[in-house]
Amino acid sequence: MTVGVIGMWVLALGALFLCLRRSPSVARRAVGEAGTSLTRVAPVMLMALPMAAFVAELIPDGWAERWLGPDSGAAGVALATLAGSVLPGGPFVAFPLVLGFLKSGAGPAQMVALISGWAVLGLHRTLSWELPILGPRFILLRLSASLVLPFLAGMAAEALLPLFPGAALR
Amino acid sequence: MLRRHATFIVISLLTLSAAVAVLLLRGEAAFRHALEATWGLIVTVAPSIIGGLLLSAALRQLVPPGALARWMGAESGLRGLLVATAAGMAMPGGPVAAFPVVLVLAQAGADRGALIAFVLAWSLNGFQRILVWELPILGTDFALLRLLCGLPLPVLAGLLARWLPIRWTPEDAPAFKPAPDKGQ
Repeated sequence: MTVGVIGMWVLALGALFLCLRRSPSVARRAVGEAGTSLTRVAPVMLMALPMAAFVAELIPDGWAERWLGPDSGAAGVALATLAGSVLPGGPFVAFPLVLGFLKSGAGPAQMVALISGWAVLGLHRTLSWELPILGPRFILLRLSASLVLPFLAGMAAEALLPLFPGAALR
Repeated sequence: MLRRHATFIVISLLTLSAAVAVLLLRGEAAFRHALEATWGLIVTVAPSIIGGLLLSAALRQLVPPGALARWMGAESGLRGLLVATAAGMAMPGGPVAAFPVVLVLAQAGADRGALIAFVLAWSLNGFQRILVWELPILGTDFALLRLLCGLPLPVLAGLLARWLPIRWTPEDAPAFKPAPDKGQ
């Protein structure tokens, strides 16, 4: 986990240095914009993070294992894709929730399908951002071109799973 | 502005109802357990979130989004899709930032296959989200497996989008403005 954090900060400081070399005012603007984004993201995040933890407590014992478990196969992958596509909210909801699912027995391949379904099909993001900015025709084109892909990602994960033994968190 | 508040209100309501449900159905111990898990998550992701926001803000100053579009035109073939995929993965920030960039790229000449590949690469494999969220929360093995399975999808979607008979031009977008600095 620290690798990701360190990598992020090395990249961030490197980019900031490039800004600084262009001119101090560009660097100041970058820091200012980062601060603005933080104040915008933080309230939503602080409200959303506990939601995933509460939902994880509410999942009945054995539910994830039964419907989305490693043995649920293609049906589980399809169900997970569907669940991902209706999952609202940003990464602060999706990833903690997937962590909860994995810990309560969901299969990694099914969770790959869930994240892919959320990322590619996510109705919430499509309706609240894509529709007002790019319009219905773009959504039609994008969904037609990508509808089956999350399912394929899940099936690919099922095939590749033996290579990643650490992917199952229990 | 309104949309942002709406998101906050909806998420707050969902969180509150989940909290009440945990208290009623699972008891106080489970409630406290959830709060502890939340605190652990905040500690895990806070450093990378701040780093990530700084990175995206700095990149916005450095790279004008239209700059890449000349490699993403209709005749750009597979190479255009690969450029779009790489650009999408490098694109930092949430949907507020990404979808307007799609419009900028379209107006600068990127074709529909490249645009679809860009959106998918951003939403599936954006490196910022992987570094900030996926890697710290779900671990290296899961993140690698997921990335490996997601890597070819944007190119596939781009090829499909070029083949599908659904036309889309920037003029179809509600946010389209016939900008004077078009094709920058």
